[in-house]
Amino acid sequence: MAGALTALRLGGLLARRIALLAALLALVFAVVEALPGDAADATADRGESAADVARRRVLLGLDQPVAVRFLRWMAGLPTGDLGVSARGERVWSLLAGPLPNTLLLGGLALAITVAVSLTLGSWAALRPGSVTDRVISASATAVLALPEFVIAVALVLVFALWAGLLPAATLAGPDGTPSSWTMLVLPVLALAIPQIGWNARIVRGALADEARAPHVRAAVLDGLRPSRVLTHHLLPGALPAIVTGAATSTGMLLGGAVAVETIFSYPGVGALLAGAVADRDTPVIAGVVALTGLVITCVLLVADLIRSWAAGGRP
Amino acid sequence: MTAGGVGLAALLAACGSGDSGAKPTAQASARSLAQGEPVSGGTLRIGALGRASAITRDPHGTQANESDYLIISLLYDTLTAPGATVNTAPRLAASWKADQDVTTWRFTLAKGATFHDGSPVTAEDVVWSLRRLRETPAGAARLPGVKADNIKADGDSVVLTSDYPNADLPLMLRLTTFVMKKGTEEVAGAPGSGPFKLDWYRDGNARLVRNDTWHGGKPYLDAIEVKIFESPQAMANALLGGQIDVASNVGAVAARVAASRQDVQVLRRPDDMAMPIVMRTTEGSPYADPRVREALRLAVDREAMVKQVLSGYGKVANDVLGTGDPDFAKDLPQRARDLARARQLLQEAGFDLSKTYELRTTEDISGLAESAALFATQVREVGVQIKVVKEDSGAFWDKTWLKGDLYTTYWGTNDSVIFFASKLLLTGAGQNESAWSDAEFDQAYKQAVGTLDPAAREQALRRLQEIQHQRSGYLLWGMADGIDLAAPTVRDLPKLPGYGRVQLERVWLAR
Repeated sequence: MAGALTALRLGGLLARRIALLAALLALVFAVVEALPGDAADATADRGESAADVARRRVLLGLDQPVAVRFLRWMAGLPTGDLGVSARGERVWSLLAGPLPNTLLLGGLALAITVAVSLTLGSWAALRPGSVTDRVISASATAVLALPEFVIAVALVLVFALWAGLLPAATLAGPDGTPSSWTMLVLPVLALAIPQIGWNARIVRGALADEARAPHVRAAVLDGLRPSRVLTHHLLPGALPAIVTGAATSTGMLLGGAVAVETIFSYPGVGALLAGAVADRDTPVIAGVVALTGLVITCVLLVADLIRSWAAGGRP
Repeated sequence: MTAGGVGLAALLAACGSGDSGAKPTAQASARSLAQGEPVSGGTLRIGALGRASAITRDPHGTQANESDYLIISLLYDTLTAPGATVNTAPRLAASWKADQDVTTWRFTLAKGATFHDGSPVTAEDVVWSLRRLRETPAGAARLPGVKADNIKADGDSVVLTSDYPNADLPLMLRLTTFVMKKGTEEVAGAPGSGPFKLDWYRDGNARLVRNDTWHGGKPYLDAIEVKIFESPQAMANALLGGQIDVASNVGAVAARVAASRQDVQVLRRPDDMAMPIVMRTTEGSPYADPRVREALRLAVDREAMVKQVLSGYGKVANDVLGTGDPDFAKDLPQRARDLARARQLLQEAGFDLSKTYELRTTEDISGLAESAALFATQVREVGVQIKVVKEDSGAFWDKTWLKGDLYTTYWGTNDSVIFFASKLLLTGAGQNESAWSDAEFDQAYKQAVGTLDPAAREQALRRLQEIQHQRSGYLLWGMADGIDLAAPTVRDLPKLPGYGRVQLERVWLAR
């Protein structure tokens, strides 16, 4: 009974999120439409006559109203058809190489974010008011306010150009993926550091809130070891807040990837997206938004599942 | 060796003779043994700019990416190519000849040219490729005056018939006349006849290996790896960190950073990029009066522009486009700043100094918006109030280019005087940016392209440049250098401006 209710609730949630994604895609079409110039102009060769540009405009379907183009594009979406770019490439094949690279970058950054912020947050929470606690909390606040590109530039300067320890640019090999794992280190760090700041604070705060709960006080009075209190009493209760923080970070990580990928010349969707905006290439922009949106939706769904499991598991 | 090889050898010799741009480093000159004779072998890792969204593999497509153009130019041959001592050097065409009235041109193909799959390059292949090029949206601009039906094969020759006399047809064929096999359907990876063969290609990156049987002679390098870079900064960082050997066309900012490094060569290719200010010449424009245009040309401080906008990586220009052309009129008096004369001209023309005028610009290339801002400051000294309006690239090309009264433009294909005349300055030319129409200029152009007599041509070209210098709609204050960064072992990189930089077959690596 309870399971069916949860499934129903999650189904509703998923439907809402997908509707939101569709609305977001409509917004993408509308915004690109509002930008000056169109894809036919933006991708024109310099020698192209006005008549040729007009002919290509018709070929690209840009003479149709934006609503018609949006609906046509959306109609292809369920079958996995993301349309054709202004330069005549299939959007799917444009994304096939870069998207997995960006997901790898974002995924690694998320994993490191979760691991490091859990460690730092717990460490600080176990010693409330101590020097460690204050240092961790202060540094977390400092780095969460730093934009990714500032961190990226600093990392390149220190670790690549001065120390010569790590590569400054991510070069792709014959298979389209970074040709060495060392090339991932700096981009992942640049993305993860601000998110670690944000999540360490959330972990620290959630654990502090949870510590005031009666069952935790009871556990402490029972004389349980602090590590056992943390893993068995504090963390389960703080989990929903921590998971929500990490899920929010997924969006921030993928957003930050656009800036970070440019600095490291990382072969991901960030560069593709930036170029597509310059080209007013709506199908490509919408394709990137749809797929990254789908990934974020999945992560949020997993977060919801964890939250409901954590809530259900409590007496 | 073909005449093209000779031209190239002369060019490379000229590069070696202590050009100010090339800075052999301490380490490099210590290893001066390696300077002498070229040696074969090695892989050159070269970075070039490109956007992932604009990647194309079609030799006749819109090549917005330098990285794509580089890969295509290594794989495929054009009929002719840019040269150093002559504007037009042989490539797949070994020689060419026009008939008496300069409308019909016969291009004889190089002996022994083969595609990478071993089959010989025939005139039929060339005709098919040129027709394909002609049918692209920009085909009319790429093969001006030559209809698809007027491209024919004749034995080992290709015959092109122009709609009008055109002594410069061979020159127009230099940049995009890439030859593929007749009937090629799958363009990606189709065999070419160029100096390098494709090993692998992925998302704008490629590895190419030497074509041992190239008709132009065996290249030195074993392989070339082309890496696509979104931004010049990332490319410069990759070079400084030793991940690539050459950062192609990386720009002045990177050159400044690298100038202090002993282990990096900063190579300058002069006359690479023109960034003129366009003044609309037609009725209704504030700049319709030639005296106003002359006044602005006298008000600009050219030395300051080169120093500040280009960080000194460039030189002052004289309002005539095509500065790298061997036929460029170097003896025209250099226009210098003359504020008194500029004020006088503005007064004579009745220019309204109470108004504020807009100068439209973009940030498409580095330095462009800065040039507009500095120009606005400079002309304030003669009382002209200019407000710089920075436009988004899309809006600029859509709304301002070819239409605005006053805007900045740029031409990276720094080509010949005649190329710019035909594209930008001739009455009714498709890209006549200043809407200029000058009967005398048109006349001089017709004379220049309508004759094969060198003396008559020289005279007409000289006249053409005089008129342009005097009264066109352009203010060309300077020419930016093309700047490449290279590791100390890289030798004999091409020195040509614009798209000449892709000719890597004579490059070698010292050990």
